[in-house]
Amino acid sequence: MESWKIGLLFSVTGVTSIIERSQLNGALLAIDQINAKGGVLGRPLEPVRYDPASVVKRYGELAEKLIVEDKISVIFGCYMSSSRKEVLPVVERRNALFFYPTLYEGFEYSPNVIYGGACPNQNSVPLANFLMNTYGKRVFFVGSDYIYPRESNRVMRNVLRQGGGEVTGEVYFDLEAEAADFSGVVDEIMKVKPDAIFSTVVGQACIEFYKAYHLAGGDGRKCPIASLTTNEGEIDAIGPEASAGHITAAPYFRSVHSPANRRFLKAYEEKFGSTVDVTSCCEATYSQVHMFALALEETGEIDTECLREALLGASFDAPQGQIKIDPDNNHTYLQSRIAKVDNNGEFVIEAKVRRAIKPDPYLVFPAIHDWSFRTLKVAGGGR
Amino acid sequence: MSDPIQDLRDLHALVVHPRDRSADELMQQVNRIGCNFDHMWPVPKTLPEKFDLVFVDVTDQNAQRLKSFIGSSPKSPSVVAIIGYENPSVLDLIFEIGAHSVLMKPVRAAGVLSSMLMARRFQQEQLHFEKDLTKLREKLDNVQKVNDAKFILMRHRGITERQAYDLIRKQAMAKRATTTEIAQSIINAESILSNMGDT
Repeated sequence: MESWKIGLLFSVTGVTSIIERSQLNGALLAIDQINAKGGVLGRPLEPVRYDPASVVKRYGELAEKLIVEDKISVIFGCYMSSSRKEVLPVVERRNALFFYPTLYEGFEYSPNVIYGGACPNQNSVPLANFLMNTYGKRVFFVGSDYIYPRESNRVMRNVLRQGGGEVTGEVYFDLEAEAADFSGVVDEIMKVKPDAIFSTVVGQACIEFYKAYHLAGGDGRKCPIASLTTNEGEIDAIGPEASAGHITAAPYFRSVHSPANRRFLKAYEEKFGSTVDVTSCCEATYSQVHMFALALEETGEIDTECLREALLGASFDAPQGQIKIDPDNNHTYLQSRIAKVDNNGEFVIEAKVRRAIKPDPYLVFPAIHDWSFRTLKVAGGGR
Repeated sequence: MSDPIQDLRDLHALVVHPRDRSADELMQQVNRIGCNFDHMWPVPKTLPEKFDLVFVDVTDQNAQRLKSFIGSSPKSPSVVAIIGYENPSVLDLIFEIGAHSVLMKPVRAAGVLSSMLMARRFQQEQLHFEKDLTKLREKLDNVQKVNDAKFILMRHRGITERQAYDLIRKQAMAKRATTTEIAQSIINAESILSNMGDT
């Protein structure tokens, strides 16, 4: 029996492998679940995966290889924006369908891409509000030096200003930055004494930064590091002591209480032995594979045009709650939650936006007082 | 000058293009970007004033008609020409109608935002320069007039340039007029008086 072949482009080595490995697992779990139920229209899904080793150029080359040599026209992959930009021209030229299960900085639309992660309007505004209301208005920015942190900081700076906040510093680091590289900025933070730190440091460097902050006496319970990208995977690597009190805004946390999430986590644990590396990007990948399979069930063939038609407007009962692909822009309506790390290194959800937020990838200046971004306090730590 | 990026969502855009795949791609992208927009085809006679930016398909169009269409709005909108061919006669046409930026057919989503912003920016700059130029011309004109008047006074009264200027300024203050107006009157009077001498 012939299988449906799909391509997976996630790095399992290199600087962004922690997070991409969790995305790969999410995809593999969804594929297992679909195949256990008899596949799609009686045929199993067969993943073909390559490891780009966190090297930006490799993503484009391997996407080309998947399409040309393996004759695959559906690909899931990428974490960093720079790697997506490598894949984009390839999938457009070959008219393949590309699923990108990661939050990013917005200002993009391609008919060949389905975007499964949050854009800035879906998480930056709720986070900025929460920080200013809970900790104060002086925020220090630390980021990795590439497009996402810079654009993300532009949005955050704007939202903070509207709320009367102040950016007390802004520093960028190489993706390969090591522990020693952060000592200067940590000293400066200790001197400036901001109310909170907004971090867009990603990958291995993120872990080093949190550790360096803790080592210098930084306390997340007093002045937290707030992030959109620091997930359960990084927190696990940082350790509970250095990560207590820090804040992350994301559509999904492992601690969400819902039947769909309990089923998801149980299946994940059965397959991989533990759920420590389940993250919002993992959940997004898992949901995107399921949504693809449902669309394929409808079309009966892997044809970019037909699949796109079936996917646009489709909704799915994801572990985070109901999500839906916006037919206007191929991005996804997502939940928005804010969580704090407790003393055991687990995220406890503090606030959430009541309804899934419509993606608005071309929003230049999100308005801080928009009612749709208002968060509600969450009792009991997870909803 | 206002910031074209900041004001993006306040724009009213008009798409003048036959209803085909390019037009659909373009309108969907303008919608994603978050601007108000309308569609018209064929090229109408007049352009309603509310539009700040016009996308216009120039394929097989006559430059005269396009110019009178674009010129019919009192607001002078930003113009993005949509072209199907890149040959010299088409490029000539887009220069002639004064397009501020260009999109190539088939229109794709990527590039629309940049072309809109380039058009806005370019056109705002142009307006700005035009305004500055008019102002400078006027100023130059005024300086010339005051100079002429000064020389007339110097000649008639045998005074220095400084004294002549002070005289003009005092007159302007007393009559609550500008120095240019006084200078103009002096020039007029001089020409009448010298004409009388001739006859």
